[in-house]
Amino acid sequence: MLEVRKLRKVYEGASRTVEAIRDVNFSVGQGELVCIVGPSGAGKTTLLKCIAGLLAPTSGSVVLEGNPVISPPPAMAVVFQEYGRSLFPWMTVHDNVALPLKQKKMPAERRQELVRNALAAVDLANVHGAYPWQLSGGMQQRVAIARAVAYEPHVLLMDEPFAAVDAQTRADLEDLIRVLWHRLRVTVLFVTHDIDESVYLGQRVLVMTHAPTVIMEDVAIDLPDERTQLETRSMARFGELRKHIYSQIQLAKQGWRPPGQ
Amino acid sequence: MNGAAVLVRRVAVLLALPTALIATWWITSAGSQSFYFPPLQTILETFVKLWLSPQAVPNVVPSLLRFAVGYFAAAFLGIAIGIPVGASRHLRNTLEPLLEFLRAIPPPVLVPVLILFAGIGDEMKTLVIVFGCIWPVLLNTVAGVRALDEVLAETVRSYRIGRFARLWHFVLPGASPQIFTGLRQSLSIGIILMVVSEMFAASNGIGFALVQYQRTFAIPEMWGGIILLGLIGIVLSLIFRAVEAWLLGWYYGLRRAQRAN
Repeated sequence: MLEVRKLRKVYEGASRTVEAIRDVNFSVGQGELVCIVGPSGAGKTTLLKCIAGLLAPTSGSVVLEGNPVISPPPAMAVVFQEYGRSLFPWMTVHDNVALPLKQKKMPAERRQELVRNALAAVDLANVHGAYPWQLSGGMQQRVAIARAVAYEPHVLLMDEPFAAVDAQTRADLEDLIRVLWHRLRVTVLFVTHDIDESVYLGQRVLVMTHAPTVIMEDVAIDLPDERTQLETRSMARFGELRKHIYSQIQLAKQGWRPPGQ
Repeated sequence: MNGAAVLVRRVAVLLALPTALIATWWITSAGSQSFYFPPLQTILETFVKLWLSPQAVPNVVPSLLRFAVGYFAAAFLGIAIGIPVGASRHLRNTLEPLLEFLRAIPPPVLVPVLILFAGIGDEMKTLVIVFGCIWPVLLNTVAGVRALDEVLAETVRSYRIGRFARLWHFVLPGASPQIFTGLRQSLSIGIILMVVSEMFAASNGIGFALVQYQRTFAIPEMWGGIILLGLIGIVLSLIFRAVEAWLLGWYYGLRRAQRAN
């Protein structure tokens, strides 16, 4: 479904050159939920932007369903961390969700149906006419998620979407993502700095090193498919996986490099 | 206190100082024998008889029409030029010295020059108004477009929103608060230039009439003209405020919500 091959991104500045991503290789199968975790400064956002087609890599390639990604593809939707700044404040919630669909050339009825279903799916059926700034942070992020869902993407990219939200809301939104993922059978790539969240959500967790970034490890999360905040997070296996990833991150922070670099 | 009482109180507070000033003027000028400062009573009587009668139409209407055409042309051009300049650093760097130079020229100074090119008719006067009004709109549009939110810009790109939709749903609404600041400044400048452009070589207009009355020592008529200009300014300002409230309601709500946090 999605393949990242030998991805490299170097930022050329006036005074200095920064190699953000050195050599990232991984693939994501159809319908998988994969989390990407790494220390601050690991180039997670750079990686996500390259995959989304918002940033051109220096070398390497991103291939989505057999086609190379050079600009934002129609089969992908992105949910950003700063929900307040990614919604249009001059439009209602309904119009915010409907706008990307207007580009997709469909009959108005179908569009209305998609908007209605998406907002209902994120539990916001009653705020169609409200403006984003009238809503709480968690609700705003739900609107952004609804907008991505209504777009009917094959791949959903999420860039630390719950980092700016309080812990209780974050727990609710995490569960929402798993529900949507199950229901829509969409492929999800979820970037986060929160290790617990990555283990709770993912089927696989890709651990990244510090810049210049490579993938340290591809951890398979063998927790049951039915996950709840209460049960899953108190399982022994959850603790083991978390501890393992945490120690990898600590190694990464100390400047671990793979052999041969 | 109920809503009506609050409104009455507000209006009373608003009118208190002007009423006091007018009353003072009336009383202190009541028995005036001065030729250049007649009693307010005389001025107001002349005002109603002359400026509020059909006699004034051949002067007032052409002035207001020239103002309207000049103002809206300046607004359109200012926004149309400001948007690409604001969006392109290359254009900005190329045009900035020229724009700064042109902006610094006081528009009335151009009247003799414009008379050579555009004669002494309506075109010349309208061009003076356009030349003076365009700068606040243009420069504020450039500032507004430069300040567009980057996260929102990336969202627009990630959803592949087309050029026209981008302009209509993102650039224009996003820059509109700043554009309105420029339009408000242009409103005051436009009224001034409307009068000034008619004072040199004209055959009708409020400015023309003012100069005529001054030359023929029709002093109460002249004062009346000044009062009329003040009233026109107030009415235009109120209309402007109403339009602004209608188009920027979302912006006030957003700022209120941001301040509340």
